[in-house]
Parts: sequence; C-alpha cells; structure tokens
Amino acid sequence: MSDAKETIEVEITVNGKSVRREVEPRLLLVEFIRENLQLTGTHVGCDTSYCGACTIILNGEAIKSCTLLAVQADGGEVLTVEGLEQDGQLHPLQQAFSECHGLQCGYCTPGMLMSSLALLAENPDPSVKDIRKRLAGNVCRCTGYQNIIKSVQSAAKALQEG
Amino acid sequence: MEMKFTGEFKVDQTRDKVFAILSDPEQFAPMLPTFHSLEMKDERTALLRVKVGIGKIRGTASTELVLDEAEAPLRARYIGQGKVMQGAYKMISSFELEESGDGTLVKWQGETQLVGKILSLAGGGMQGYAEKEINKLISSLQNALSKNPQKTESKAKADGWLARILRKSDAGESTEAINDSSPAESIISAGLAGLTEDQLARRTENQSKISKILSAKRSEKRLPRKEDMRLIRGQGLFTDDFHPAGMLHMVCVRSPYAHAKIVSIDVSAAEALPGVVCTLTGTEVKAQSNAFTQLGPEPSALIEDYCLAVDVARYQGDPVVAVIAESAQLATDAAQLVEIDYETLPVVVDCREAMEAKTVLHEQVGSNYTWQGEYEYGEVDKAFDEAKHVVKIDDLKFHRYGSTALECTAVVATWNQLDELDLFCNAIMAVPIAMIGPALNLSSDKIRLRTHDIGGAFGNKISVYPFMALAALASKKAGGAPVKWLETRSEHMMSGGHGSERNFFDTEVALDKEGVITAIRSTHVDDCGAYPRYEPLACVIWAQVMPATYKLRNMKIDMRQVVTNKSPTAPNRGYSRLPHLWFMERIIDVCGHELGIPADEIRLRNYIKEFPYTTPNGCVYDSGDLPTMLQKAKDLVGWDEWKKKQEEARKEGRYIGIGIGTTLDSGTNNFGQSQIINPFLPFTGQSQASTAKLDLDGTVNIAVGSFPQGQGHETTSAQVAAEVLGIDTDFINVKTGFDTERNTNTGTGGTYASQFAVTGLSAVHGAAVKLRDEMKKLAAFSLEANEDDLEFGVGEMGPEIRVAGSPDKNINFWALSNLVNYNTAALPEELRDLHCNVRHVYVAPFQTVDKEKKYGNLTLTYAMQLHIAVIEINKETAQTKILDYGIVDDCGTVINHMIVEGQSHGGAGHGIAAALLETMPHDKDGNVICGSFTDYAPITINNMPELKYENMESPSPFSYNGAKGMGEGGGAPLLSISAAVQDALYGDGFIVQNSHHSPMFLYEQLKNYKDSPISVETR
Ligand code: FES
Ligand code: FES
Repeated sequence: MSDAKETIEVEITVNGKSVRREVEPRLLLVEFIRENLQLTGTHVGCDTSYCGACTIILNGEAIKSCTLLAVQADGGEVLTVEGLEQDGQLHPLQQAFSECHGLQCGYCTPGMLMSSLALLAENPDPSVKDIRKRLAGNVCRCTGYQNIIKSVQSAAKALQEG
Repeated sequence: MEMKFTGEFKVDQTRDKVFAILSDPEQFAPMLPTFHSLEMKDERTALLRVKVGIGKIRGTASTELVLDEAEAPLRARYIGQGKVMQGAYKMISSFELEESGDGTLVKWQGETQLVGKILSLAGGGMQGYAEKEINKLISSLQNALSKNPQKTESKAKADGWLARILRKSDAGESTEAINDSSPAESIISAGLAGLTEDQLARRTENQSKISKILSAKRSEKRLPRKEDMRLIRGQGLFTDDFHPAGMLHMVCVRSPYAHAKIVSIDVSAAEALPGVVCTLTGTEVKAQSNAFTQLGPEPSALIEDYCLAVDVARYQGDPVVAVIAESAQLATDAAQLVEIDYETLPVVVDCREAMEAKTVLHEQVGSNYTWQGEYEYGEVDKAFDEAKHVVKIDDLKFHRYGSTALECTAVVATWNQLDELDLFCNAIMAVPIAMIGPALNLSSDKIRLRTHDIGGAFGNKISVYPFMALAALASKKAGGAPVKWLETRSEHMMSGGHGSERNFFDTEVALDKEGVITAIRSTHVDDCGAYPRYEPLACVIWAQVMPATYKLRNMKIDMRQVVTNKSPTAPNRGYSRLPHLWFMERIIDVCGHELGIPADEIRLRNYIKEFPYTTPNGCVYDSGDLPTMLQKAKDLVGWDEWKKKQEEARKEGRYIGIGIGTTLDSGTNNFGQSQIINPFLPFTGQSQASTAKLDLDGTVNIAVGSFPQGQGHETTSAQVAAEVLGIDTDFINVKTGFDTERNTNTGTGGTYASQFAVTGLSAVHGAAVKLRDEMKKLAAFSLEANEDDLEFGVGEMGPEIRVAGSPDKNINFWALSNLVNYNTAALPEELRDLHCNVRHVYVAPFQTVDKEKKYGNLTLTYAMQLHIAVIEINKETAQTKILDYGIVDDCGTVINHMIVEGQSHGGAGHGIAAALLETMPHDKDGNVICGSFTDYAPITINNMPELKYENMESPSPFSYNGAKGMGEGGGAPLLSISAAVQDALYGDGFIVQNSHHSPMFLYEQLKNYKDSPISVETR
C-alpha cells in the first residue's frame, strides 16, 4: 500500500494578495482558507453544501467554498470576509448588518455578508423577494432572518446614497 | 442504493489483445479513475487504494478487486468491494468482446451498490457522480485499448486541475484522457485556461462589479453591539478557530446500529497509518475513567455511561472508537480502517415498547424507566365530579427535533503532564466540570474550562460533556498534546442533541359551564434516548409552568421518562416547558372547538389575570397582562379581517386557520427542583458571579460567569455597568466568553434557562456598584471632598469623578487606578483595603422546595409571549403557508430593545421550523432518517414569514431592574401553528395530535385519520 501523498501547487489571489502553496488534491477550498491561510472568518456549518457558512467570492461569484477543492481555485481570485474592510474601516454592508442586528452569534455572518455582497454587486436595489432568493443557501439559526433582510435593504440604501 | 450502467464501444485492437489487457488486474486497475496504488494479492486479486471524494466525504479507501470470471477471449468480469467512510460499496464490471471488422466491440456493464450513510452524506448526487466516474473509466479503457493511445487532449485540459488530480503516480501512462466529467468542474473553473470567451467575459464583469462595490465609501459609525466589531469582520474566535501548536485531531468511529453488541474491535490497521498517534476504545476508557454521575435516583442511577460505548452500542452514532491523528483528514482516513464486529440486538424506538420492557437497554436498572412520579395538586377527583363537561383526549405527541446551532460542538482538550486539564470549548454551562472532574478523577481546580465565541447553542451543547472527557483522555494518551474534536454536521444531526419527545396519554379535562377548565389529569412520558445525560431533569422542569397561563387549581400528572435506542437527548430551546405549554394549548383549543367557544374567548375566560400569582405547585408568576397581550396580537394581524376572509375562503373550499399560542418563558431556575427528581442531589437556588475591575490604565473591565452564544451579553453588561458608573459603554470592556480562571464560576453559572437579564445583569450591577463605592471613597480622599458631593462623568481626560458644581476638582479613572495599584503608599491606612477589583455574586431569592409535596417556587421570572398565526392549508398537498404572523412579547423592563426583538425573531424561527419543517424521525431499526442538513432542511430565509412584532413591559417585582429572562420564550409558533392547523381543519373533524405539520407528515395524518381522539361528556 503506498502512502505517498501527492501534492499540487496552487496559486490563488486571496483578498488581493497572491499566495502559493503545495496542497493535497483533496483539500477543500474552505480548508485551504481556514487551515493553510488561517483566515478563520470563513466558517463551516455542514457537510452537504447546505448552509452557506463557508461562502466566499471566487472570481466575482459567491460560492460555497466547502464544495470546491483548493486546486479548483488555482489561478483564481478569492475574497473572504477579512477582505471586506479597508484600512480598518468597515464596508457599508458590515455596518448595516450590525446596525440592523442582522447577526447574533455571528457564525453565519461571514457567509451572509459574502452572499449579500454578490447580490448587491449585481442588483443594487433588490426587492425582498430578490434577497430571499439569493440568500436561500445561507442558513442562520439565530436571527429568524427578518433582520438579515433589513440589513441587506439598509446596505443597499447606504450604497446607493454613496 | 443500486446503480447500473451499460454501453459499448469499438477499439482498433484485436480481440485477443483487448482480452489480455482486460483480464489482467494489474493492467485493468490503474484505469479506474480514482486509482491510487495497488498490490497484487494473487493472480486474480488486486488490493487497491482508491481515492474517494464526494462532497465532504473524501480520503482513500481500500478495495479488493477480483477477476471473478475470465473466458478468453470472450468475457471478463471484476468484482470490487470495499468500505468508504460510513458506508460500503460493491462494484461489478463485466465485458463481452465481439469481433468487429479488424477491431473489437466491447460491450460493458457496470453495477454499483452502495449501503450506509455515504448515501445521505453525498447529498443525493450519487447517481450523477457514479455515472461520471464510469464514463471516465470507459474513456480510459477506450484510450488504453486503442492502437494509438491519445497522449493528451488539448493543452488546457491536460494541465487543468482535474488532470493533475488524476495524474497517475507512474507518469507516462496513457490514461490522461480526461473529459469534463468531474462533479464540480462544471460549477467553476478558476484558472483562465480552458475558459470560453463567454465565461471569461462574465468573470471579468463579475469581478469588476465586486471591485466596484468594495470601493464603496465608508464611514465610521459606532456599532450597536460590542461583540459585532469582531464578528462582522470575521475576527471571532470560535472553537474550531483555536489552533494551539502541536494540536492533534480526534475522530470517532460510531455505531451504525441502534442496538448492538460490540463483538470485537481491531484498530491495528488504523494505528499503522502514518500520522496516527493513538486510538481509544471503550475498554480502555472504562479502565481509565469512572462512569459519569447520574442525576436520576436509583435504580436509574445504576446506568453506566462512559465516554465511549463499552461492550454494547445503544444508539446509532454511539461512539465506539476514537482515532487521534496529526490532521483531521488523517484521523478520518484511519477511522475507516478500524474494524468492528457487531451483533445486532432488538431495538426499542417507541416509548410504549420501552415501557413494556421486552428489551431493556440498561439491564442493571431492570426497566427502561429513568424516572416515574406523580404530581397532584388541589382536589382533582372532586373537580371531575362537579364538572359540567369532561373532555377526553387519547393521545398527543410533541415531536423530536433539534434546535441545532450552526456551529457544531467542539472542544480542544489539553491534559498536560502536571495533570492539569484545559478545555477550550463551546460548552454553555459549567456543569461539564462537575461531570468530567469525578469521571476523570480530577479535582475542579485542575480543570480550566473556557469559551470564547460560540456559534449558537440553544441548550443543545449542555449534554456533550462525554465528548469533552473523551478528548481529554485522548490528550492524556497522546502525551499531553492538545486534541481537537469537532463534531461534523452529520454527526450532529445523527446524535448531537435532539430534544426529547413527549407523549401525552389519557388526558381528561374538567370544565365548568362557562368553559373554564377546573381540572386536568394525564400521563406524560418523555423519551430521552439511550442515556439520560442531563435527564431526568425534564421530569420536573415542565412543572415551572404547570398550569400554563390558566387559572385551574386541580391537576394530576403522572410523569415518566424512558430510555430508547435513539441518541441521548439534550435540552433544546424551551426545554421541557415548551412540550407542556403545547399540551396545555392543545387542551384549550380542543375544548374550545368541542364546546363551541372561540379560541380567543376561551382563553380570556381561563387566563390568569392577577399577578403575582401563585400556581397550585407553588411557583410565583411575577407580572403580566394577558388580555392586553391578546388584544395587541389581534390588532397586529387584523384578527376580525382574517375571520371574515377565513369564512369567505371556506366557501371557496380553501382552508384558512387562525391560531393563538400563549407561552411562558420561565427564567432563572431554582436548582432546588432537581431534588424533586432526586432528593439526594445537593443543589438548590441559583447564583451568578461577576467581577469588576478598574484596570491599570483606568479602563473598567467586567467579567461575568455566563456563556453567551449570540445574546449580546457584552453589550448589555456594558450598558448596566456604564449606567452605574455614569460613563459611556465605550469605556467599559467586557470579557468575551467564560473562563474558570476569571473567578466568575459559582457552579450553576451558565447560559441556559432564560436567566441572563436577571442573574447575569444583577451580578454585573452588584459588582459595578461595589466598584463605584470604592472609587468614590478614593476620590473623596483624593479630592478632599465629601462622597455625597461627588458625581461621575467624562471630562477632558476621559472618565472621571468630580465634585458636583466644581468641574475643576476632578480625578480621572487612570489616576484613581494609580492610587490602588502603583501608588499605594500614598493611601491612608483605612483605605488600603480598597483595590478597585471586586466580585459580586447575585444569589436569587429562592427557598428550598418541599420535595414530598413537590411544592415551591421553581423559577423567578415569567416572561410571556403571545403569538397569532394565520395559515392556509392546501388540503390536496397538505402544504401549509403562513399568511400572517404576529408576536407580542412581554419580558418586563427591557434592557436592550434591539436584542430582545432579535431573540423573539430567532425563537419564532425555531418554532416555525419545528412546526412546519424540522423533525427527527427514526425508522423501526433506530436509523436516523434526517442525518444531514440536506435531509433535515433547517428553515431558510425562504420559508420564514414576515413577523409583526410588538413589545409591552410588565416589570418584574423580583429582579432589581424589572427585567425577565426571555431567550427561550419564542417556541410559541409550535403552539400557534398547531392551533391554526386545527382551526383550519376542525370543520372537517380533524384534531391536531402532533406538534409537527410538515406536508409529508400532515398528508399521512389526514390520509390515515379515522376517529376523533376526543370524547366529550356533558352533564
Ligand atoms: S459549510 Fe459549506 S455549505 Fe455548509
Ligand atoms: S447569527 Fe447565529 S447563525 Fe446566524
């Protein structure tokens, strides 16, 4: 029985910085982000691609990073929750989630933020229905979602007002 | 599950050559798309390592591939079988060869059989995945069997990620003919190579949109909650984020059977895997630790519960072996190599079977009962004799579900060589110390228990101490290295803490002629799963709300609890009270319907109206105004309008139902009630500790002995301390999480039983007052002023104490701190006892309870919620849609409206989920049916209706601040939705007997509904 572990080099731009690592082919993207890069803001809440706690932006799209292998992101651009703030200043979406009490324990929050970011990037003025549709893959067990809808609406408003 | 695939292809080799390749396992096996390595056992048998990876199941698996039939040059057949994580598979591939021109026609057939958990873990994508894998195999074969094997496809593909994953170890082989057949490849291809122009354009467009939104203008505004600043930035520290140097990982091998004898365990292959540090089995655990203390009295106290199953596995998911390795992936791989032989035993899943005791789970107990007792108050028989109506209800059932936090249970245990145990975890009360200490023979001062951020808990995480102890033993065996155990979601769904089911048998209700309930008698049986863990406390906790919100004085409940071959239950939001309140609301609605009294009216006739109110069993309901709540809730949804619409809809054959649910959230429990369960338990009362310290730089630091999980304790603690000290919350630091080293543990401390607003904030308040008084004394000395003339405020140098009216005479907090820390010689003798470092313990004003009479005040405060649900049921599909939803919440004086409303929403979410979506059924063999999130389908933003919310405040006379704990109260949707379902269907004679109403479930109930379970006798 061979125990030789095959590794593959990947190069991924994460929150604007290029990183290069040798990884096992089976390493999930979320494990790469959390374990190899120690960016622990991205969370894991399930093992069937249901909960969205692991949502990040890859190449401009919100994806569930537990559902991809790290090698699939090779050459790609990743944005995680840690990349939302700039010079210590929060993004209006982060501000809105806090102001509208769109988080309690905060475990779902990074994923919610990333899904909401992708939604607002594409649709700056989403209806409640649009929000429900785009966040349906993100589970929150604490808030009952009502304040999450409010948060996204309030962020949309803040972003539009600039 | 069985999958079959067939097909044929033509190759340009002669039949003999094709047969030679196909019938040689050594040549055939490497063509398997997941091939990793091989060893020939004999000519016909290859031992293979294959890579598996679907969803989160990944790793290598071993397969024995046997050439089971070979008839040259006509046919060959292989049988491969093996195990993958939590499942097994069998694969049959056969080939028939026909001559065709100068080549050969290969007719193939592939068959795969899968059993076990792998199916639900793979999330339904199995068929497609298998198909793709087979396609890969066929294209490899085609390639290998042709005369001019294609070396590579296009450059982009050969270099693509997939090609690299599948590149075989002996380079140069010609099996890289990869097509786009990966389950995930179609989703995304990150590198630029291989992208079509359209994809490239879309990607550029998406990226520029993200860049644009990221460059949005930012402004610095204060965040309303202290904890948000880290959580919103991904800077929280959840248990899985904790990664001390040298940390190892533990994975449990769990029983696939609900009840089985463990015949033998072989860990040798697992231990031989490089990177595996050690394993633990039940026998070892039994030798190295004591069975956990049982809370129940004899004989249930005889139950032996260790952190691994010893000899017998008693539920599906019972941990049998622990594997400890350098990485979680390795531990998972090694866990698959553990060989366990089981002998299955008869399974008990139903509480009636458990009561019959044909199979007894814990032999030494002699039955399946963990507790039995009678609660009787008032003059029950007399009330029945004098009743105008007697309503009998056969059978009601509160279903099993899990409140299920998004973060699974986790612990990092370090048992160092000085015999000190550090538990960094997401426990939610200090009880693990009381459980783990005696089990591991460690004194409590040797155990440090700490939490930081916790991703929700809702009670579930109370009962996981066996896994914490197991990780501790693992750390000890591994020589003191930190060991992390992280429950997977599937493990959690299988056995991570469902709430108990409760069955209500033979209920009888006595009513007077006005429809006022005068007495109830009934038998209630809880099913707590295989081990009692936190049980049988549920057998008394319900009594906190015994008459619910109603004024009846006569009650007789025969309360029992049994064990079954299901996972041990844990407290869930609304623990034990919620099933009872559901039962009481069912009674009200059933009686209302049967006697023709509208749901609002029968409640008004029965509600308790004077507060404080002492219940028949001695609990004191502190304050409230139920009729006003009801009116407000009716106004919120527009009750009269809906009544009209309901009537109209009915004429069109549509079923609208309107239901009311009234709950009590009993908060701050008197542990004395545990003595009603077991008179020998040494617990009474309730307390909570807080420390307040003026730190070296003048910052005020607060620590409190709670275990917050999203309830904003840092924010509200800061609010309370800031108010006492007359400064802004920005000047107050509140420590995150719990730590035994902060001296805030009183033993019963924790975040459970809706108590923080009372116990936690009272402790913080007390500590802040002590600190304020010390600071004032010091300031008076320093400013040569009278204490009474001093006031707190914020001056040019930050927070300060000053002489009222002379702002120049002031001393700031830093200078005050300096006096008691760096400058003590400057203090007069009589002030040298002041250190501005104080501790306050809030002791709730409880008395012990009367164990015999089962009488006493069991909880301090009673928050109330009144919900109204308006639903419509499609009778064809049994689908229920919420049309309107109103919540009125009264939790006394509100400390933080935003947080209180958020808790109400969250609780309502759980209740709606449990009523309409979430259930945890088992089949007759004790298999968990909803073993993953995908099956369990936790409520999403799509199923959550808009909630209309209103708050009212009836201050509690029993807490210093008038507040009442309120975090659990929202279970009311279970009440309101059951009521609404019955309201919608009662016209057709349907009575709601179960708390769960998902379409599948309701459909079955409607289909099988025969006789009403109700009989009414009117005298
Ligand atoms: S962890 Fe990725 S979807 Fe749940
Ligand atoms: S805030 Fe806890 S899961 Fe969403």
